[in-house]
Amino acid sequence: MSSHDAKAMRPGAIDPPMPLAHHFDTPGQQAGSAKFGMWVFLATEILMFSGLFLAYFVVRMLYPEMVLSSHELLDKTMGGVNTVVLLTSSFTMAMAVRAAQLGDQKGVVRNIILTILFAFVFMGVKYVEYTGKFAHGIFPGKYFDYVAAGEYAREHGHVLAGKPHIFFGLYFVMTGLHGVHVLAGIGVLTWVLLRARKGEFGPRYYAPVENVGLYWHIVDLVWIFLFPLLYLVR
Amino acid sequence: MVDAHKIEDDLVFLNGEALGPEEAVEIQEHVSPLSLYYKVLSALFVLTGLTYAVSYLDLGELGLPVAMFVAVIKVSLVCTYFMHLKHDDRYHVFVFLSTLLFVGIFFTFILFDLSSRDRLSDEQGTFFQQRMDPDKGMPSRQPGFGPGLTPALPPGAAPAATVAPEATAEPAAEDKAEHDAGAH
Amino acid sequence: MANDKEKSKSEGEPTESKVDTSRPREPSFYEAQKGWKSWAFTLDHKRLGVMYLLSTMIFFFIAGMSAILFRTELLTPQGDFLPWLNQQLAGMMGQPISIEEAAAQSGTTYNKLFTVHGAVMVFLVIIPSVPGALGNFLLPLMLGAKDVAFPRLNLASFWIYSLGAIFFLYTLFMGGLDTGWTFYTPYSTNTGTAVISATAGAFILGFSSILTGINFMVTIHKMRAPGMTWYRMPLFVWAIYATAVIQVLATPVLAITLLLLMVERTLGIGIFDPAMGGDPVLFQHFFWFYSHPAVYIMILPGFGIESELIAVHSRKHIFGYKAIALSSVAIAIISFVVWGHHMFVSGQSELAGIVFSFLTFAVAVPTAIKVFSWVATLYKGSIAFNTPMLYGLMFLFTFTIGGLTGVFLGTLSVDVHLHDTYFVVAHFHYVMMGGTIIAFIGGIHHWWPKMFGKMYHEGSAKIGALLVFVGFNTTFFNQFVMGGQGMPRRYYTYVPQFQEQHVLSTIGAYILAVGLLWTATYLLYSLRKSNDAPVADNPWGGASLEWQTQSPPIEHNFHDTPRVTTGPYNFPQIDRTGEVDGH
Repeated sequence: MSSHDAKAMRPGAIDPPMPLAHHFDTPGQQAGSAKFGMWVFLATEILMFSGLFLAYFVVRMLYPEMVLSSHELLDKTMGGVNTVVLLTSSFTMAMAVRAAQLGDQKGVVRNIILTILFAFVFMGVKYVEYTGKFAHGIFPGKYFDYVAAGEYAREHGHVLAGKPHIFFGLYFVMTGLHGVHVLAGIGVLTWVLLRARKGEFGPRYYAPVENVGLYWHIVDLVWIFLFPLLYLVR
Repeated sequence: MVDAHKIEDDLVFLNGEALGPEEAVEIQEHVSPLSLYYKVLSALFVLTGLTYAVSYLDLGELGLPVAMFVAVIKVSLVCTYFMHLKHDDRYHVFVFLSTLLFVGIFFTFILFDLSSRDRLSDEQGTFFQQRMDPDKGMPSRQPGFGPGLTPALPPGAAPAATVAPEATAEPAAEDKAEHDAGAH
Repeated sequence: MANDKEKSKSEGEPTESKVDTSRPREPSFYEAQKGWKSWAFTLDHKRLGVMYLLSTMIFFFIAGMSAILFRTELLTPQGDFLPWLNQQLAGMMGQPISIEEAAAQSGTTYNKLFTVHGAVMVFLVIIPSVPGALGNFLLPLMLGAKDVAFPRLNLASFWIYSLGAIFFLYTLFMGGLDTGWTFYTPYSTNTGTAVISATAGAFILGFSSILTGINFMVTIHKMRAPGMTWYRMPLFVWAIYATAVIQVLATPVLAITLLLLMVERTLGIGIFDPAMGGDPVLFQHFFWFYSHPAVYIMILPGFGIESELIAVHSRKHIFGYKAIALSSVAIAIISFVVWGHHMFVSGQSELAGIVFSFLTFAVAVPTAIKVFSWVATLYKGSIAFNTPMLYGLMFLFTFTIGGLTGVFLGTLSVDVHLHDTYFVVAHFHYVMMGGTIIAFIGGIHHWWPKMFGKMYHEGSAKIGALLVFVGFNTTFFNQFVMGGQGMPRRYYTYVPQFQEQHVLSTIGAYILAVGLLWTATYLLYSLRKSNDAPVADNPWGGASLEWQTQSPPIEHNFHDTPRVTTGPYNFPQIDRTGEVDGH
């Protein structure tokens, strides 16, 4: 039973009614349930990625030299650009939620479109990175081409130590799973965009925008850790 | 016992619990000012630039903690403001933090095991050695695969370490050998 | 809940005079909608519960049959049944082989059989059984809600479960899997059997489990009827809540473990496979970080059922309500810090072994609190020896044995001797089968009239309970002895000195199988059309909300949202709470 009156509604703001499923008593109960469910789901996402991060730390512990020498082959600048892109998309997502809270229909649509665009930019940069790696024999695991990758490293003044196929295997799994989450994010964002264009969201009903936003922020959070660990840390 | 408090009819029920009308807030809604979002975004950019810049300095052992520290600050900014945890239901904060607690349990025990795996063996000198001779390499299913690019033995690792009786013992860990040599 | 109709009779025996005639009967949720679509696309938690019940029972049958096959092989020390079986099967396929060739394959066949038994029982039967079937059916009823919080997610969860099950069946038809249900590396990265489809199946089932967990957590938090405070929830709900917490926190780690295993097997990234530079013990850490909490996913709902059975059928307020409720949560939390006791001899560090051994003992405390509370509930209760209660008492007996032997195995030094022997097999069967499955069967009997509106034949049910009890203990009790004497698990031939005990075990398994089939038969028989004896809405005189509605319930569970003014175990007549519970 939140007070909508307290919120400053802009003139011209649109406030469509909230659809209420039969098994809920109040809109607040419905929205609260959805949001709580989303947070619990985010907890599962965090735990799932934590397994990958733990694998990374273990590999780093077992083969410190290998990890440090291998990561030099990753392009810090591309990683940095992607970080900025993803942070900005998180910002536009937050703005979309805010627009929905204020009943600014156009703002919702505009910001979700921006978020989707940034997501595509992110995937584009990833595509360039992946194909660049593949071109030099840097494949995950047993497909790793030691000869080609070794030459590529020497050209750039590095020496590959130990078993870099493990590092790159992990790199592709971590960024790959993250990429799958970005793609899933594009999917759900598109769904929300279609609904937003129909004018379904407003101050009384914006739970889908908010929950998709929460998911999108988690995708961002994972990247915030992936970036320094894979690209930067010496 | 469970019947301790009588329920009055004029109370508001929220999720089964009887509450006073002012306590019964079903969902926290808070609209943050625009300027706040801009400030948070700028801070995130600055911190990203900072980690990027720091990565060019050779901080040695400190590199990882510094990078993680900055990442944690960035993550808490996103959680607090973009994800509205600051104004959200306290229980959502609890869910988030307890998730981190369980991640901590997961990490702590496994890293503790890995870092202490050789300790008693080394103290007693009687257990099998887990390290393998780097010159002999790993039992590899792939010809030409494995330690081909391995540089010469690190000075600390004793080549006398013998192959473990267990076929599935630790992988050849030159780096690990060096790590352990440093730890003792 | 003060239920006036219950005041006249006190015994828990079903009596026809209790049928509620004050209100005209409405169509039950079965009758409200018809046709296959009303099942396949249903959003009704009750229908989903029934569907889960049916599917877990089908897989229970498959897993049980594979157990019967390998128990038959173990009748003799040398391999003869499986070679014979292999020869017959090859003959039927049109590729006859000699008995020597058949014998050469039989070790693998044995491995596949116990893998099918283990993997199907764990992933397709025990984990989804109680939460999926009874949890789905009862949770909203017990909370006084119209449905779970996310009915569509609930439906998705069931179909994801079915998809995972299809992957498992595919594995079975592709020649099976021989890694054991634990998928240990490096064997699982190298073996020629269908590891990918099996792990993909388990991965998908994990999603189903997570979605169910999220749904239940949110339902319990947000969907409680007015007055249903945390400490007025039935203990079954508390147990399901603790289970949901574990499902949510542990299953994602299983997902990533299986994903990494699949990647390791296809791409060889070198995390778990020592040949590629990985650490196989790390796999075991990852795996048991999920799978140890998962054994509590399996047993906690059993605890919940047990609390209901004991309290309702001894017609007494449960002893130590809060202690039982909170010990469920305590078990859920402690379960996350003990997984290393599966790895005492796997090559983890000795220090970690000592820490894990110590922490393992901590689980015994909340578990003992529960057992003592149940025993104290029975004390001076008005015990009705009907079938649900028989299973409840059976649970107390078998679970206590299973739980205590778990403490032996959690002791580092003892485990070094007992590890990978039949002692371990006996221990976890006493917990999983003697705990969860026994409680589940008891729960099915207890809620059968509520779920289906029919009553089974009590005499047949008692015979079934006796067969199950005798069969179960004959099968597994002497396996403790055998394991202590050094009989290793997972071998299909053995030293002749163990033959007598193995024969005893196999006979027990046959009795158990007969008992379970008998149980299934009379339960299904009770559903026949001609069995139109009216069933009371509340045949046992239970005080929790699910008994306040019609049997079987109407589509939206309750006519009006119930208002809860008292706890779930305040039985109107026998309960002299002042003496019993320090009121």
